[in-house]
Amino acid sequence: MTWFIKVGGALVIIAVCTIFIFILMQILPLFRGASVRATGTVPVPAGDYLALGIDEWGQLPFLVERSGKAVFIPVDEGAAAATHDLKLEAGRSIAAAHYDALSHQLMLGLDDGRLLVSEILYSSADRDGRQVIESGIKQVFDLRFGELAAPIVDVAFRDAGSAKLAAAILDVDGARSVRALTLVQPVVLGRKGTVKVGADLDLTPELAGTPVRVLVNASADSVVVATTEGEIFCFAVGEDGFALRQRFAPFADAPTPTIASIDFLLGGVSLVLTGADGRNEIWSLHHPAGEHERRFGRVATLDPLPGGGATWYDASVRNKAFLFGNDHSASLRFATTGHRRWEHKLDGPVAAGVINGKYDRLVLLDQATVEKTSPEKASPDQASPVKASQLRVFALSDPHPESSFATFFGKIWYEGASKPEYTWQSSGGSDDFEPKLSLVPLVVGTLKGTFFALLFAVPIALLAAVYTSEFMRPRFKLYVKPVMELMASLPSVVLGFIAALWLAPLIETRVPTIICAVALVPLVAMGFGWTWARLPVRMRAWLGQGYEFLVFVPILLASVWLAALLGPLLESAICRVPIGDPQAGQTIADFRLWWPYITGSPFEQRNALIVGFVMGFAVIPIIYTISEDSLSGVPKALRSGSLALGASRWQTAFQVVVPTASAGIFSAVMIGLGRAVGETMIMVMATGNTPIMDMNIFSGMRTLSANIAVELPEAPAHSTLFRALFLGAFLLFLMTFAVNTIAELLRQWLREKYKTV
Amino acid sequence: MATKLDKPLRVAGEPWVWCTAMGLTLGMVMVVLLLGLIAWNGLSVFWPKRVDLVTLRAGSQAGIGGSRTLAGELVKRQERTAPTERGTYEIQLFVGNRDAYDFSFKYLDEADIESRATPPELMVIERMEGGDAIGTPVRLMVKGESDLAADAGAFLSRLRAQVEVAQARRAAILRVEKHEIGAINRDLEDANRALRNPSADRVRIDGEVAKLQQRYAELADQARQLRAAQADDQLILRLATGEERRIALGQIVDYAWPNQLSTWQRITASFHAGWNFLSENPREANTEGGIFPAIFGTFVMTLLMSVAVVPFGVVAAIYLREYAKQGTWVRMVRIAVNNLAGVPSIVFGVFGLGFFVYVVGGSIDSLFYPEYGSTPVFGTGGVLWASATMALMTVPVVIVATEEAIAAVPRGAREGSLACGASKWQTIRSIILPASAPGILTGLILAMARGAGEVAPLMLVGVVKLAPTLPVDSLWKATDVVPFVHLDQKFMHLGFHIYDLGFQSPDSEAAKPMVFATTLFLIVLVLVLNLGAILIRERLRRRYALGAF
Repeated sequence: MTWFIKVGGALVIIAVCTIFIFILMQILPLFRGASVRATGTVPVPAGDYLALGIDEWGQLPFLVERSGKAVFIPVDEGAAAATHDLKLEAGRSIAAAHYDALSHQLMLGLDDGRLLVSEILYSSADRDGRQVIESGIKQVFDLRFGELAAPIVDVAFRDAGSAKLAAAILDVDGARSVRALTLVQPVVLGRKGTVKVGADLDLTPELAGTPVRVLVNASADSVVVATTEGEIFCFAVGEDGFALRQRFAPFADAPTPTIASIDFLLGGVSLVLTGADGRNEIWSLHHPAGEHERRFGRVATLDPLPGGGATWYDASVRNKAFLFGNDHSASLRFATTGHRRWEHKLDGPVAAGVINGKYDRLVLLDQATVEKTSPEKASPDQASPVKASQLRVFALSDPHPESSFATFFGKIWYEGASKPEYTWQSSGGSDDFEPKLSLVPLVVGTLKGTFFALLFAVPIALLAAVYTSEFMRPRFKLYVKPVMELMASLPSVVLGFIAALWLAPLIETRVPTIICAVALVPLVAMGFGWTWARLPVRMRAWLGQGYEFLVFVPILLASVWLAALLGPLLESAICRVPIGDPQAGQTIADFRLWWPYITGSPFEQRNALIVGFVMGFAVIPIIYTISEDSLSGVPKALRSGSLALGASRWQTAFQVVVPTASAGIFSAVMIGLGRAVGETMIMVMATGNTPIMDMNIFSGMRTLSANIAVELPEAPAHSTLFRALFLGAFLLFLMTFAVNTIAELLRQWLREKYKTV
Repeated sequence: MATKLDKPLRVAGEPWVWCTAMGLTLGMVMVVLLLGLIAWNGLSVFWPKRVDLVTLRAGSQAGIGGSRTLAGELVKRQERTAPTERGTYEIQLFVGNRDAYDFSFKYLDEADIESRATPPELMVIERMEGGDAIGTPVRLMVKGESDLAADAGAFLSRLRAQVEVAQARRAAILRVEKHEIGAINRDLEDANRALRNPSADRVRIDGEVAKLQQRYAELADQARQLRAAQADDQLILRLATGEERRIALGQIVDYAWPNQLSTWQRITASFHAGWNFLSENPREANTEGGIFPAIFGTFVMTLLMSVAVVPFGVVAAIYLREYAKQGTWVRMVRIAVNNLAGVPSIVFGVFGLGFFVYVVGGSIDSLFYPEYGSTPVFGTGGVLWASATMALMTVPVVIVATEEAIAAVPRGAREGSLACGASKWQTIRSIILPASAPGILTGLILAMARGAGEVAPLMLVGVVKLAPTLPVDSLWKATDVVPFVHLDQKFMHLGFHIYDLGFQSPDSEAAKPMVFATTLFLIVLVLVLNLGAILIRERLRRRYALGAF
C-alpha cells in the first residue's frame, strides 16, 4: 500500500514533467534542420546534358540532351524509363534549356535563335495496386527571336495566363543582343488558339556590358538581365514597349563584382544571387519607403556558399526553399529566414540538382561536363568531352523548412514587405501565401494585456486587502472575504462575454466619463478622508472605525455620477476634431475620433482598457486573498507594539505591517500576474485579436493564449503552425512556471521568517 | 476633556485609510453589479413582454413596406449616435416575423411615432422556424372543417386542441426521424465496416443490409406523411402591416396573448419558459429553444472528470502528508503542485490535444479500430479526452483541499489508532480518510465548479457548438436498455455555448437573450457549487473545533 501511495505522489511530479517534456518534444522539430540521406545512385547514359527536371513524386527525373532528346531515368521501381524526342529540325542543337517545375514547361533555346516550349506530362497510374509514374511530352509552340538565325545564349519564358513573355540573349556574330517577345494566344470558344508574337522588342540599346543571363518574372511583365560585368537590368515589358525600371550591381563592393548565378525563387518576386566568391544574397521586389514603384532591394545576406559561386540551382515549388551549389558543395536554404537547412560537401563535380514537388527528395547530377547556362560558363563550344555520369538520389526530410529561431523571435523581411518586421499571420487568402509566424507580437500582446490588467487590479486588490486586514471590523471579514472570493469563481467566458458584448459598446461612447471617474474616485476618497479627519471627534465617533467601506458606497456612486456629468463636458471642451471643410472650422466632439487625430494610434471598441477592467475580476480576488492572508499572518505583537508607541493605524499598517508582509504581497502579485498571462477566454472575446505591437490603451491585441485558442482547433496536426502554437504554449508555460516558482519560494521564505518573529 | 474632544484631532494618514476603503468598496460593488446585471438580463429573457402597436406619423418613411403601423416588443430606448433636430432618442422594437420582413429588429425615431398602444388581441407565436410571429389572429383553418373566425367562441379551444395534436405529431416525427432512422443508419454503417473485413459473411450481411434498407424506406415514408400532415391545419395571422400570413399549426411551439396576461400569469409563463429553456433542444442555430444538451454535456464531462480526479488527487495528498519525508523532494512536489495549479488552462488544452487526442487516441484507433480507416474514433476530441484534460487541470485543487483536511485531523485520533495496533494504512483508511471526507468533497466541488466554468481547454479537446446526439445512449433502441456512455463522442458545454452564441452566431443581436440566460444558468450553477464548498468547509471547521481531543 505504501508503495502504491508513493507511486501516486510520484505521478504528480510526473504529470508536471510530462506536460513540460511533451510540449518540448512537440516544438523541438521546429529547430531541427533538414535531414538528408543518400539513398543511392542511378547510372545515366552518356550524353551532353543541359538541364535536369523531376516529377512531383521524385521518381522519374529527366535530362535534356543537347542533341534534342529528353531522357527519363527512373530512380524508383514504380517509374518507367523513356526517351522522348524533342523534335528539333535536323542539324539543330539545343543551346540553353530550363525546366519550370510549377508549369511543367521545358524551355529550349536552339542554336538558330528559336525558342521551343514543350510540356512535360507526368502521370501517375495505378497498375495492380502499384503506383506507376509515366512520362510524356507535348510541344506547346515554337517561335523565333528576330530574323537572324543567331544562336541563343540564354532564354526565358513565362506564361502568366493572359500575359506571356519570352526573352532571350542571342549571339549575333559575337555581339550579344537581348530580345523580348510578348506573346498572344487568342481564346476562341473556350479553346486556346495558336501562340502569336505580339511585340518584338530589342532591349540591347538600354544595356551596358555583356548580357549572360535572362529571366522573366512570374507575372510575365518584366525581364531581368544579368551581365558579366556584374550588373542587373530590370525592364518592364508590355505590349506597348518596354522601359528600364532599375539597374543595380549587387556585388559592387566585392573584389570581383561578377554575378555567378541569378535565379527566381518560387513566386517570381525574389532573386537568389551568388557572387563569384560564393556570397549569397536575396533581392526582392518591394516598395521602398515613400516610393510607388516596386524595386529590387537586398532583403537578406545569407552565409556564403563554400567553394565559390553557384553553378546550378533549383527552387522548390512548395515553399521558399532553394537548392544550389557548385562543384564543391551543395546547399539547401530557406530564403525567407536565410536559414541553412542542409549543406553537403561534394566529392566530385556536380552539374545540376533538383528538388521534387513534394519536397522530400533531392537529385544531383554528377557529370563533369554538363553545359549549364549560368553566367560564368561562357558559350556552348567550350564543352569538354562527355564522361560517364550518374544521378545521386537523396531522401529529404524537412517537415518545417520555414521555421528557425528567427522565424519566431526575429524580424523577418517577408516578400512584399518594405522592411523586416515581426508579423503573425498564419493564413492568407491565396495559395502562394507564406505563413508569418513571429511570436513577438503575441508576447507583446500578452504583456500588454497583463500590464493593463495589473494596472487596474493591483491597486484595488492591495488597497482592499490592507483595509480588510488592518482597518475593517473583524466581523465583516466573514462576509467580505467570501464575496471577494466569489469573484474568482466567475467563469472567464462569462467575463469575456460581458466585456465584449455589454461593456465594450457601453464604454466606447463614454471614455471621457471613465477618465473622469478614474481621476475623481481616488480624489474624492482622499478628500473625504481628509475632511473626515478634521471633523470633531464627537461627529466621527458616530461612525466607529472599521465601517468606512460602507459609508463609501454612496460616495462612490455619487462620484461616478459626477464623472458621468463631467465626462461629456470634458469631451465637448477638449476632444474637438475638425470635420468637413477645414476652412469652415466645423468641429465635432467625439473622443473616438479625437484620440486617433491627436495621437495617430487607432481607437478600437475592444481595447486594452476593457480588457484591463474585466481582467480585474479574474485577478483581483487572487491578489486580494493571498495578500490579505499574508497581512493577517503578521504577528499581532508587531501591531500592538506600534500602536502602543503612538503610531496611528495608518502608520502601523503602512510602516510596520505592510513591510513585514511585503514578500507575501509580492508573491500575491506574482500569482495574479501568472493568472493574467494565461487568461484565455477574456482575451479571445474582448481584445479584437489583432496581432499588433503597441502599448496604446485604446487598441486591442492578440495574446499567446488567445492565439492558441483561436488557431489550434483549425491547425492541421503536426504542421508548422501546430508546432508554432505549441511553442506559444511552451512560452506561456515557462512564463507562469517562472512566476509561480518565484512566488512559491517567496512564500516559503516568508513562512520561515515568521517562525522567528 | 470635552473641549479637547471637540477640537479636530489629527490622525496621520486618515485619508489613506479612506483610500484603502475605496479599494474594498470598488471590488465589492463590481461583484454585486456584475451579478445583478447578469441576473437582471438573464431573468428578463423569460418575462413575457408587452407587445406595442406603434402608429407612425403621417408621411414617415420608417414603416415596414409603407405601412404606418408596427407591432413589436420594446427592446431598448437609447440616444441616437448622431442626434438630429428631430429628436435625440430612438427605440428598438423586436418586430418578429423574420420570414415576412427579412429582419426581426427595427429602430424607430421617437419623433416618427404618433402613438403607442397595447391592444389585447395581439398574439405572439413561437415557431420552429423563422423566429416569433407577431400579429392578430384572423381565422383558423382546420382540414375538413369550415373556417373558424378568431372572434368565434370555439376558436380558442379549437386552436389549443389542434396545436396539441400537431405537437404530438412533431414528437412522433422526431422519434421516427432521429431515433429509429438514426438507429438504422448506425446499423448500416456497422454493416459497411463489417464488409471491409475480408473474412466477413458477405451473403448474410448483404441480406441484413437489404432488410435495413427496406425498413429505412418504410420509416422515411412514414415520416414524410407525418410531415405533410403538419401543414394541414393553418392559422391566418394579420401582421401589423396589414399583410395576412398563414402559419401551419405544425410550426407552432407556443403562443400567447402577452397584453392580456395578468402579473400572476406572467410569472407562471416565465417559469414555464424557463423550464422549456432548461429542458429543450436548441433550434435555429442555437439562437432559439433550450440548452438541455449543453447542460447534459457539461454534466457528463464534469462527472467523468470527478471520477478521474478524486483517486489521483487523494492519493497524492495522502502521500504528501503521511508518507513523504519532509525534505527537498516534498518541497519539489509542492512546488510542482502549485505550478500545476498556476499553469494556464489553455496549456492543459494544448497538452490534451497533443497527448491525449493525437498520441493516446491515435494509438487506440490504430490498435482497436483499424476498420474505421482514416475516420478517427478516439483520435479526435471527445468527452473522454476533455474529462482527462480537465482532471489534470483540477487535480491540484483536490490535492490542496485534501491535504488541508488531512492536516486538520487531530493528532490524537491518529496516534490513538496507531497505539491500538492499526497499521499505517489501516489508520489512513478507517480514521483519516473518513475524517477528511468533507474536505475531499470540498476540493471535488471546487474542481467541478472549475470544470463547469472552464472553456478554453475544451475548445481544443472535443467541445462542439451542436452535438447531434447526447454522449449517453438512451433507451429507445430496444437492445440498449442500459445507458451506454460514448466516450469518444463530442459534446456541448455551457461555457462554450455562451462563447459560440455570443461570438460565432450569425445574428448576435438575436442571440443575446439566449446568451444572457445561459450565462445566468452557468453562474448560478458555479456559485451554488462554490457556496456548497464554502458551507462544507465551515461545517468541517466546526466539527473539528468540537471534536478535538
